[in-house]
Amino acid sequence: MSLGSRDGLQRKATKLTGPAEDARALANKLGLHPLPVTYWLVDYDEMNRLIAYDGFPTRYPHWRWGMKYERQRRLDRAGSRKAFELVINDDPAHAFLQESNSTADQKAVITHVEAHADFFANNRWFGLFGDDPDAAARMEAHARRIEGYMADPEIGREAVERWIDSVLPLVDTIDQYQPYDPSPDSETESEHEDGSPVPDLDISADVEGAIFDDDWVEAQEELDAEEQPARDVLLFLRRFGRQYDEETGKAVEMADWQKDVIDILRAEAHYFAAQQMTKVCNEGWAAMWESVMMGEEAFAGDDEFLDYAAHQAKVLGSPGLNPYSLGKQLWEHIENQANRREVLERLLQVEDLTPGTIVDRVEFDRVLEDLEPEPPLDSITEETLADLRSLDPVKVDQSALDRALSGDLDLDGQPWRVLSYEGLAERHFSLTKPQNRGVLREVDRSLLQEIDRYLFENDRYPDIEAAIADVDYTAGWDKLFQVRESHNDVTFIDEFLTPSFIRENGYFTYEYSHATGDTRVASRDPEDVKRKLLLQFTNFGKPTITVEDGNYDNKNELLLAHQYNGIQLDFEEAGETLERVFDLWGRPVNLKTIVKTLDDRDREVARRRGREPDPEEEGRLLRYDGEDLEIEELEWADVEDIAADDVDYSTKPEDWL
Amino acid sequence: MGLKDDLQRYRAVGEERRQDLEAFITYGDLGPSGESSVRIPIKIVELPAFRYDQQDRGGVGQGEGEPGDPVSATPQPGEDAKAGDEGTDHDYYEMDPEEFAQELDEALGLDLEPKGKEVIEEKEGDFSEVSLTGPRSTLDIEYFFREGLKRKLATDVDEDYVREALRVSGWGVDEVFRWARGQRIPVSRQWLAQQTPIDDADRWPDIEAMEASVEQTSTLERLRTDGLRRLPFRREDERFRHPEIIEEREKNVVVVNIRDVSGSMRADKRELVERVFTPLDWYLQGKYDHAEFRYVAHDADAWEVDRGDFFGIRSGGGTRISAAYERAAEILEEYPWSEWNRYVFAAGDSENSTNDTEDRVIPLMEDIDANLHAYVETRPNGGGINATHADEVERHFDGVDDVVVTRLTEPGGVIDAIDAILSTEAEPEAEVAA
Repeated sequence: MSLGSRDGLQRKATKLTGPAEDARALANKLGLHPLPVTYWLVDYDEMNRLIAYDGFPTRYPHWRWGMKYERQRRLDRAGSRKAFELVINDDPAHAFLQESNSTADQKAVITHVEAHADFFANNRWFGLFGDDPDAAARMEAHARRIEGYMADPEIGREAVERWIDSVLPLVDTIDQYQPYDPSPDSETESEHEDGSPVPDLDISADVEGAIFDDDWVEAQEELDAEEQPARDVLLFLRRFGRQYDEETGKAVEMADWQKDVIDILRAEAHYFAAQQMTKVCNEGWAAMWESVMMGEEAFAGDDEFLDYAAHQAKVLGSPGLNPYSLGKQLWEHIENQANRREVLERLLQVEDLTPGTIVDRVEFDRVLEDLEPEPPLDSITEETLADLRSLDPVKVDQSALDRALSGDLDLDGQPWRVLSYEGLAERHFSLTKPQNRGVLREVDRSLLQEIDRYLFENDRYPDIEAAIADVDYTAGWDKLFQVRESHNDVTFIDEFLTPSFIRENGYFTYEYSHATGDTRVASRDPEDVKRKLLLQFTNFGKPTITVEDGNYDNKNELLLAHQYNGIQLDFEEAGETLERVFDLWGRPVNLKTIVKTLDDRDREVARRRGREPDPEEEGRLLRYDGEDLEIEELEWADVEDIAADDVDYSTKPEDWL
Repeated sequence: MGLKDDLQRYRAVGEERRQDLEAFITYGDLGPSGESSVRIPIKIVELPAFRYDQQDRGGVGQGEGEPGDPVSATPQPGEDAKAGDEGTDHDYYEMDPEEFAQELDEALGLDLEPKGKEVIEEKEGDFSEVSLTGPRSTLDIEYFFREGLKRKLATDVDEDYVREALRVSGWGVDEVFRWARGQRIPVSRQWLAQQTPIDDADRWPDIEAMEASVEQTSTLERLRTDGLRRLPFRREDERFRHPEIIEEREKNVVVVNIRDVSGSMRADKRELVERVFTPLDWYLQGKYDHAEFRYVAHDADAWEVDRGDFFGIRSGGGTRISAAYERAAEILEEYPWSEWNRYVFAAGDSENSTNDTEDRVIPLMEDIDANLHAYVETRPNGGGINATHADEVERHFDGVDDVVVTRLTEPGGVIDAIDAILSTEAEPEAEVAA
């Protein structure tokens, strides 16, 4: 199956061209700048297939696609399929809609997709992969190359599959924060951010040059390559790894095809990394703009609105931690905060209002009334159309209004066409929405003082009315667009998940208790909750593994280190993964980590006393030499460097049980 | 390449990595399998990775609860948008009873032939029988029409064209007839005669002139313009189709599983029973076209139960095995021996009421016609002095080849027990000793 062979379905997709174009126009008006999108209609079965293949019609041959497909079908049969759409990051982006969706669903999906396409286009983490991902073509090219190796009689399918199986376990051990460089040999490892060989010294360039001359720098670089822990394990293996030759018992250079396969899998890992790193903010972004377009701007027709409400409920109402709803709530929170700040700033600039007097003197209900969109912005009809001319022209799309008044443009229930970004921002100003009316009132003196600190003028406005009249309604949206450019899930959650948000939504952390043998609520402290949540998102929710030494024990052995953060590795799986690392290194491989030990006596005592035992942290070294996996205890001194000094993600309280 | 290929590879990998059949029967998890689907767990198909210890990791939940309160079910974190399902769902290699039976045959070196029973069922096959008479509804219209069309094509004449030939100067019926036949135009002399005298009889100086100027229309063209108004249908073209009668001997089997559920049958014994009976049921289902299963539980009384309850039930009372056979006999009245293959499998720990085995069970076993009677004794801890049922049955039916007794003390013996039972059945009937 390849894109472009969808003739039968293309006919149906044209029915949606209108809504798609309208959605694009609305998105642009709202300030979104999406990548172009091509829409495809697929049936139920094809959708299952696409989901299994990560959204692409063609991938390299491997049994795990079959496994994913079987699982997808099983989930689907159980009725738990939630995916209404599938969109892939490419230029143009490709979006797959199910042909069985109702029109309301299709419209919702399209608006959702447009928002995703905006995120792909503007979020910097997507930029790391390069300007033109050419994803669909790339995946296909990868597939052809791997098929070629499988068909090659000197290599054969089994060997290729086995090699892929050795590489895949390591595709998350990349450096997802660096721009992707397809060539494995560029020397970027030992350069620091500012390009100088020495980090952050506050001395002038001349002095630096005199002390740290070329010889010194060169020697340092050599040391660096050996001693600095390298984040990008996969790249390291690609550059310095070897293959173990069973016959000679020696480590030999990898074959060209093997290097190519690593390059392919590495490229795909980097391609998908951005999406993996921005799940919450991306899904939240799309959900939010979808609801603005569908619900508020009534992109859905009257008869479709109920369908849409059901759709939203299904998507946002899933139990457990739902990235869609968490993301959406955080974005709305950011919008509210920014809008509130804007309003408070104006108020603080009123002649005799100060942080101390605002709470008492200001009637927030009045303020909210004044903030409501002024007619005719709130309700644009045939009759009120001409009234738009009386508004501040910046809120109106003049040429569209002209055309509408002269009869050249049929608004057809889409009043947004005659408005500009500013006009729409006022129309959708978050603080006046029913569910947000309490936000403005939630101010305390410390917040007001903080805002006041940065103001230049204190008495710009004679009264409250004048101040409110000057409110810049785009404050919230402007902030949103800024944030969507720079943040990923970790920074997004870290910065914007506030204690009040956590408390209001009743989040808590849970941990396994050895005393009771089951899972228990551990903490409701917002700091703990945030930390535990971040654990799920930092480094793809996986432990951080770095290369510590490429010449361990002076025997060309590899030493990997687990940057312990209070949570242990799955030991058994780590051993199995280490065996795959051996396949790519060709010589014995080691992994050092920290485990929490509890002997049976501790557990017994704990159980009897009903108190949570306190485990001992100990160092461990796993070593695989091609045949046997050994586990050795390490002195604490040997693992001090990987201990959980700066952050510990365990949230078990002191007197837990 | 593509999905079909990838699915095949997944299946092949699953087949390689699944638990082997004997291990599965002996100590595998029979839970996920059902009556007609055998699900063998696949060992680690998922690729490993450096991951956090699931238990140590903890998580974030939402809702009520103070520190120390239990959390109901471990809430899963949000959907993993890109990767596959990381959940606790295991992968299975799934096979139907037929495949299971084949594999078990291979593993145990058996080849049980299911017996077709007396009852002949008449099944209707293809409509391939043809006769010259029959009800109108079975008329083979296609044949009929084709014959008519052939006839039409054979006798069809471009009349206008032939009439033009009559207009050749000097040509009469004979000349035209000869010429027409030479052209393979099947015109009849009589019809030609009927056309004369024709007007404008000297239109053409000679035949060549006519042929050069006049176009002949083909039969098809004429059919098109004139329509199929009249095709020459004939009675002799009528053919009537009948379905072929295929005589099928249906291979039916009913299996009555009997189990002692009295107080002495604790969990370890119950597990052994399950491990023997379940594969037997699958095997027979795989071999026969149609299989039915009935389950009888007994202590001092007997009653019928569902498959779901059969292995788990435990009651309190004493034991009277004959009650179960009485119940079995009643059940089997629904399955006449002439039409059904029957198997009666019983399991217990050989404990029985005094004299019940000799006085009642054995006669009942003799009365109940079956392909095979089996008793599976499960005694993991040795037995009481009164546990003699297996011994007695064995002694009495020594030499008879449709009764088999096997003893099981631990899961390791399950395969042998199954083997003993199935190979007794598979053996050809022994000759009666002279």
